Amino acid sequence: MPRIPLGDWVNSTVDWLLGHMAWLFDFCKSVFTGSYDGINAVLQAPQPLLLAGIFAVLAWWLRGSFAGVLTFAGFAFIDSMGLWSNAMITLSLVLVATIIALVISVPVGIWAARSDRVSALVRPVLDFMQTLPAMVYLIPAILFFGTGASAGIVATLIFALAPGVRMTELGIRQVDKELVEAAEAFGTTPRNTLLRVQLPLALPTVMAGVNQVIMLGLSMAAIAGMVGTGGLGGDVNEAIGQLNIGLGAESGVAIVILAIYLDRMTSALGTEVSPLGRRAAARARAAKGLKIWSYRPQPQIAVVGVVILALVAGGMGIFGGNGDSATTASDGGDIGKGRKITIGYIPWDEGVASTYLWKEVLEQRGYKVEARQFDAGPLYTALAQGSVDFQTDAWLPVTHEQYWKKYGERLEDLGSWYGPTSLELSVPSYMKDVDSLEDLKGKASAFGGKVTGIESSAGMMGLLKSKVLKEYGLDKEYKVVDSSTPAMLAELKRAYGKKEPIVVTLWSPHWAYSDYDLKKLKDPKDAWGAGDGVHTLARKGFSHDDPVVGGWLKNFKLSEKQLTSLESEINKAGKGRQQDAVRVWLKDNPDVVDKLAPIPSGSSAKSADGRSVLDAE
Amino acid sequence: MSSRLQAQHLFKVFGRRPDEAVEKLRQGADREDLRADGATAAVIDASFTVEPGQIFVVMGLSGSGKSTLLRMLNGLLEPTAGTVSFDGQDLTALSDRELREVRSRKISMVFQHFALFPHRSVRENAAYGLEVQGVPRAERERRADEALALCGLAGWEKSWPDELSGGMQQRVGLARALATDAGLLLMDESFSALDPLIRRDMQDQLLQLQKTLKKTIVFITHDLNEAMRLGDRIAVMRDGRIVQTGTAEDILLRPADDYVASFIQDVDRSRVLTAEAVMDREVRGDEADCGCDTVTPHTPFTELCAISARVPHPVAVLDEGRELVGVVQRRRLVGFLGDAQSTPVSCDAPRDKGGEKEVARA
Repeated sequence: MPRIPLGDWVNSTVDWLLGHMAWLFDFCKSVFTGSYDGINAVLQAPQPLLLAGIFAVLAWWLRGSFAGVLTFAGFAFIDSMGLWSNAMITLSLVLVATIIALVISVPVGIWAARSDRVSALVRPVLDFMQTLPAMVYLIPAILFFGTGASAGIVATLIFALAPGVRMTELGIRQVDKELVEAAEAFGTTPRNTLLRVQLPLALPTVMAGVNQVIMLGLSMAAIAGMVGTGGLGGDVNEAIGQLNIGLGAESGVAIVILAIYLDRMTSALGTEVSPLGRRAAARARAAKGLKIWSYRPQPQIAVVGVVILALVAGGMGIFGGNGDSATTASDGGDIGKGRKITIGYIPWDEGVASTYLWKEVLEQRGYKVEARQFDAGPLYTALAQGSVDFQTDAWLPVTHEQYWKKYGERLEDLGSWYGPTSLELSVPSYMKDVDSLEDLKGKASAFGGKVTGIESSAGMMGLLKSKVLKEYGLDKEYKVVDSSTPAMLAELKRAYGKKEPIVVTLWSPHWAYSDYDLKKLKDPKDAWGAGDGVHTLARKGFSHDDPVVGGWLKNFKLSEKQLTSLESEINKAGKGRQQDAVRVWLKDNPDVVDKLAPIPSGSSAKSADGRSVLDAE
Repeated sequence: MSSRLQAQHLFKVFGRRPDEAVEKLRQGADREDLRADGATAAVIDASFTVEPGQIFVVMGLSGSGKSTLLRMLNGLLEPTAGTVSFDGQDLTALSDRELREVRSRKISMVFQHFALFPHRSVRENAAYGLEVQGVPRAERERRADEALALCGLAGWEKSWPDELSGGMQQRVGLARALATDAGLLLMDESFSALDPLIRRDMQDQLLQLQKTLKKTIVFITHDLNEAMRLGDRIAVMRDGRIVQTGTAEDILLRPADDYVASFIQDVDRSRVLTAEAVMDREVRGDEADCGCDTVTPHTPFTELCAISARVPHPVAVLDEGRELVGVVQRRRLVGFLGDAQSTPVSCDAPRDKGGEKEVARA
């Protein structure tokens, strides 16, 4: 069987598209980000509770008082968990993706309904889009659209398009043939047949499709979080990465609240916009009689309610919200002059710590900094593609070897700021007689014959399987279990709680060493080799574009004491307050800002009270 | 206001290479021959004329091609060959746009399963054709209400189709077709989905309306009784071909072939036949001179029986000008009921001497 080089074809297609169709992607991107920014701005502007009120009035109108009360409670709950702004990001993302999905899928569905050939062509494409694993097209999406909202929207769109097309086609095909014939028999034009007969009758089915589009869009939110979209998906990823089950649950529940709200609202809207549904609902209400919890206001009342709340929100936005706009840095330190810098980070402790440290430092120097969270693969893609300026969490040369191989020439290595790191196998300290890799020999039965590993793609996994185990003659006895970092950590936590024997792949620095009492197994034969350094990587040409920041980053160094104290400060402060923690930490380490970002000759720096940028959250 | 509809040598072939198939059919091939080539002949060489104000019924079993034939009359299906002309206009030569115009103004249609738009009220349904024509709202609602009233649905304008019984829904369908003032009404098994009593009602109502409206109507049915009740003329279709065209009596008394003959066995003759069909045309001239009841050629068979039972001698048949045109003998009536029209045999020992006197005939 000859090898069919599908992968090569895909690669060259992607390259060709990048080279020749960039204008198209740029256009799509500006449409996506434009609409996303617009909707997001509207949703982020009002006071959370006011907006929750507006949502509640809509629910009251569409479904009754009980639904209204529940809606308000649900959204207030999201706000109380401190997830409001992320929830609105996710909501905007889903709304934009839904609108674009509908703009595409309804016409395609209509077309497919009218032509069997189109239908036969479209169906496999839809299957493809729906079942292709998201990560497979996420990376190309970053290459084409850059990171952030547009890549997230594209991912959501691809996934959510299918039900829109399918349900539209189904709805139109389901319309009684005799009715269509009747319309034609009275001389209706094909266009009017569609508008006056087919679409109105297909509407309930089409709305069910809309509903599905929204649901699938929300379910993609977590995955979209991996490409720097932020929102609740980012929280979920962060929580998974840090094994923070509490935060994971909170953001998960917030997604569920959004999902249930959107689901109920769109299905109610479905009955409201279709004449048949309206009649059926009216009859059902008449049969049940008027109850307080199912009471629904007239549309006029609902509109008045929404308008009043929106006006209040708008008023507060104008008169109360202007404190946020002053972003000038303290005198003398304004080097950035509002220039924008985007930092990408993987939600690992040292990455979060160094990123937020730099965010704070650069903001004090007058830059506008955006910190975006990614999965490792998308982060490298984003950096190579230039939509992120730098990242501080590159483990080189071992752990991130495969990324460096792929993207190295499109990146700029600004040197290591921390190190050396080490890779190791670790066991809980209650494993008394296991101190070194050599001690593992002959104890396979105690450990169930397995080493709990992380992603099989990670550099250290390859090293472990091909070299380390062999070196100590363990490769016959032990099997390395591929899983994922969060799964490995969860397994460790479980075994640790029960004091069961476990051996895991781990690396330092890692928070697991501070949370659990663990032993790094000694490596007398030096099989792991020298450790990694944690490098700062920038996009190609960054230090040329901004030699000042480039220079600061090249000289960036943290000691182990500094890093661990910063990390623990951030862990104490908790989610969403990373930058506050950095400020607290900077108070204790007052000279760090000037050391990290010395002001080139002349101007005097005042860093202690350089807190000029209000927290956006 | 209504006009003549003429169909000439209509063919409709579905499937591959329809034109070749038509050629073969013209040369005498039948449906089975074509099936091997992947073509299905739905209608084969159908020609007929419907005079203004006539009800023309096309009768046939399912699969006989009658619905296809009907849809060629208003261009919902394009004939593979042949022409349809209505009101002096050749419909097969029109562009799509012109054809739509004709459909919206001159031809309307009533469907088997009513085909009412469930998302429109009764009034909006009835006004649909006018809406397509672009008639302003106030006027089309007025005309729709008139049409509904004509069909006995005054007061139901604001109801919704699913709130009405089947019969009432079809009245809405009829009102929708009448509201446009189209001269040609195509009715596709319009009463077949209704239960028998409602169906009779609707047939009566259609005949009643037709007396004043005088539309040209093509009515499709699979029910010969219905065909006989409604049709001024009836075409019987079998396997895509029209096998016989004629009045109800033509079909009943002179079936063109065994197929038609087998059909009419189930027909209730007493409802179809009139005095004209059973009378003897040879008369002496003095049969109506007595004071007994007489009938006209159109008197239905049942009424004729009733009169015949009262009158002691054959019943005289007089035309509109009170001119004697024939006589009906009681024995003939009984014979028609039993479908026996042969010469009576004589009895060896006649019991009833004082009865009806045989009129000698050579």
